[in-house]
Amino acid sequence: MNDDSAYARDAGSPEVSGGDGVDRRGFLQCMAWAGTGLVWTVAGGVLSSRALSPASAAEPALDFSFVQISDTHIGFKGEANKDALGTFEQAIARIKVLDPAPSFIVHTGDITHTQKAGAFDTVTEALKGTKAERVFYIPGENDVFADGGKEYLSRFGGPAGTGWQSFDYKGVHFIGLINVLNFKAGGLGNLGQTQLDWLKKDVERLTSSTPVVVFAHVPLWAVYPKWGWVTDDGEQALSYLKRFGSVTVLNGHIHQIMQKVEGNISFHTALSTAFPQPAPGAGEGPGPVKVPAEQLRSVLGLRDVSYVQGKSRLAIVDSTLA
Amino acid sequence: MNGNNRSVRVRWLWRLAVLGAVVFGGVAVATGAPAGQSGPDTGAGQRAQPVAVAAQAGPRIEITKHKYSRPTLTVPAGTTVTWLNRDEDLHTVVSTTLAFKSAGLETDEAYSYKFEKPGIYEYFCTLHPLMTGKVIVK
Repeated sequence: MNDDSAYARDAGSPEVSGGDGVDRRGFLQCMAWAGTGLVWTVAGGVLSSRALSPASAAEPALDFSFVQISDTHIGFKGEANKDALGTFEQAIARIKVLDPAPSFIVHTGDITHTQKAGAFDTVTEALKGTKAERVFYIPGENDVFADGGKEYLSRFGGPAGTGWQSFDYKGVHFIGLINVLNFKAGGLGNLGQTQLDWLKKDVERLTSSTPVVVFAHVPLWAVYPKWGWVTDDGEQALSYLKRFGSVTVLNGHIHQIMQKVEGNISFHTALSTAFPQPAPGAGEGPGPVKVPAEQLRSVLGLRDVSYVQGKSRLAIVDSTLA
Repeated sequence: MNGNNRSVRVRWLWRLAVLGAVVFGGVAVATGAPAGQSGPDTGAGQRAQPVAVAAQAGPRIEITKHKYSRPTLTVPAGTTVTWLNRDEDLHTVVSTTLAFKSAGLETDEAYSYKFEKPGIYEYFCTLHPLMTGKVIVK
């Protein structure tokens, strides 16, 4: 049971009270147990949290929202989830009933498990079935290891064919980064100088009041370097973003929810739809964890992010498949 | 794909045979006997049958909990080394010079490579680059 709460463990950032006597860790544990949603609100770099409740309906109309889905690992057939396709489809069903429908969807990588033929198609076809206008795909290491990213880039590489890309949507600047290409022996997640140079240039023209959202597969901050849960030149990338009033970094890879706030930058890792992984340092190493069947859906899920124009804040709701 | 690749599905029924081969292979290396010679060479590009691999007398390196069981292995030239993934996660065995490269190994899948020439062969898992190992061929 202790393991269960560990999947929603806080990353060690200061505990922030939601004003109702329940700290963030308490909320996340509640979420893991009850499978309910939790809203994170970022306002001027100050993080506060509140449970989803009918009061949410009194909030002003949302300008737009988008969905983050991650680590679908299509093709996984290990003991940790014998029906990873089924839980993926369940997540898709959740996206389809979201009201309002998300403007777009971002997949933060490990789209496939083994990069076998047809796996990418399974995901792209399923996501076409949602009402989202567009889907952005960021690769995980499982999507590029077999061919050095050839298939990924030919499908999702964008206009420049590099894979990393940015776009503006209703006043928010979105950036997708790739930190899983060219892994070196003994190395970690890596962006590389070419991408760093591109990023620096990409954000130069923006005013500091522009809200920025960054996607990448491996966490850009040091979640747990011993297990490779870090991007070794992530700090360099973040240094280009420090001047902005609101930066939200959304990662996957570790299959569990973690948050951290550093100045005006907030970091969030997402749940997988396929299988959970241990909390950092728990056990001998990372990898799929088998939980009792009745608990599986409470450690898998997806994320809904809403933006209210002019408020410079993003509301993040993580929900499980339970 | 490298011509020496051969990923095979290992079955429960012959796991004991594999374990036996690991012990035998270890002894062969320790005594300096030319390990790997008694096993059939399945040749470049051919897909080995599980039984053939089980019968191969060559050292085995198991992958468990994101680690290669023998991070440094010393063998005589001509030895066929087999990596067996006993982990729930997907792993690879890829030479840092790309001298050899396995496909993605799922649970209970194996990869073998025959080391013909002396040298130090460093390798790692391209999915989890902190997993590293080397084979020293004498």
